[in-house]
Amino acid sequence: MNVAYFPGCSLHSMAHEYDLSTRLVCKHLNINLKEIEDWNCCGATAAHSVDHALAVGLSARNLSIVQQMNLDRVTAVCAGCFNRLKTASHEIRNNPRMQADVKEMLQTEAPVKPEVQHLLQLLVEETGLDAIGQKVVKPLKGLRLAAYYGCLLTRPRQIVEFDDAEQPVSLDNLLRTLGAETVTWGHKAECCGGGYAASDTGIVLDLGGQVLKSARQAGAEAIVVACPMCQSNLDMRQKAMGLNFRMPIIYFTQLMGLALGYKAGQLGINKLFNSPIPLLKSKGLA
Amino acid sequence: MNATTSPVNQYFKALQLDETDHSLSQELLQNCGIEIERCLECGKCSGGCSNAHIFDFTPRKIVQMIKVGDEERLLHMDALWCCVACQLCVDRCPSGIDIARIMDYLRERAVARGIPATRPTVELFHNLMLDQVHKIGRVSELYLILNYNLKSGQYLNNAELGPQMFIKGKLNPFPARVKKMDKVRRLFHKKPGQKGEVK
Repeated sequence: MNVAYFPGCSLHSMAHEYDLSTRLVCKHLNINLKEIEDWNCCGATAAHSVDHALAVGLSARNLSIVQQMNLDRVTAVCAGCFNRLKTASHEIRNNPRMQADVKEMLQTEAPVKPEVQHLLQLLVEETGLDAIGQKVVKPLKGLRLAAYYGCLLTRPRQIVEFDDAEQPVSLDNLLRTLGAETVTWGHKAECCGGGYAASDTGIVLDLGGQVLKSARQAGAEAIVVACPMCQSNLDMRQKAMGLNFRMPIIYFTQLMGLALGYKAGQLGINKLFNSPIPLLKSKGLA
Repeated sequence: MNATTSPVNQYFKALQLDETDHSLSQELLQNCGIEIERCLECGKCSGGCSNAHIFDFTPRKIVQMIKVGDEERLLHMDALWCCVACQLCVDRCPSGIDIARIMDYLRERAVARGIPATRPTVELFHNLMLDQVHKIGRVSELYLILNYNLKSGQYLNNAELGPQMFIKGKLNPFPARVKKMDKVRRLFHKKPGQKGEVK
């Protein structure tokens, strides 16, 4: 399956290990990722916060390149990038005025064709859990995980059209397919504080702290994420939150890689702040 | 505290219904397709809001203020600068009112009118980020943070994370840039941080 791939800015620096593990897992599952040629930043929170037309335009340019590459599907692994691409696509398809604006900005036809999917969605809906389960060689037996979706992966449902916005289950199902156990907890779809990490850190310490405490209370040994912003907010600031959990925050693609037989080092698991290695070793997984 | 300026008093001040102005709701309908009149006042938006506990006005109140055209208070409110845009209010609204889009619309209007952000560092961060996109088409987290600390005067902000991030290879000092930058710059109808009327 050929799929356009939008890595986004984080995956080229802070979340390098997410990129690494994504490429390995996709290759293993015969998903041929074609990075969008000369892609630009999706504008993240900044663009839509102060300049709506720019926010749509930035994602429209990326979608337009996908269309020119003759690919009918694009996947992003950052929940933020995914949400921006999906929102822009929705607006271009449903708002004739915005479609005209985009045409004018890009000086080419509006990119109405490409479907936008988060990698988790692509894996669950296109590859399928059965096919993934058949490739598991090292089941993640004994790991008790909190599947964390955050906000932008499933919200708003009217635009994202994936899983359930209140009680999402896709990541839980995937992790169980890999042999792990997932906990029932209240904060799986709460916000981590998103883009405020630098500009108003208190918001991240407050919201992210609640997520961590909830996961801990539910008995999780680690939190599994599908977004580089959630990862860094939850992983790097536990001390500042006054929490001494040292709870590992692991990308779902890293755990998939482990179950598919790759080594922790190949998946960049050693790059995470609160190292999951002792936990994985205790279960015979690293 | 002066009785007329107390925040509690302001919050509960009776709305002057004889002075209502519908221009803002009409604008939102025309520019964003948002039908503010469909609000049922059920409060699901405020009940779910990630940051209602620090907002000066809850989402439901904000919708009511739009109904009566209380534009000045809307453009000056702190909620514009601490909304996390988590989309929960949008997701839960039974009337399909896109409140997150309303927040963006109001913020854009406030910026255009030169109304200072209640949290200046938040606005600064947005502008520095967009400035990078305008320059190289992408965001380099390393240079964004360094630049932000410099411009905000918070020189040691997050500095404790720096060494470990460096050791873990999480900071890339050589960010790739977009080749066809003219295509990206065309998307900017104004320079980042520039004041000017909303299109």
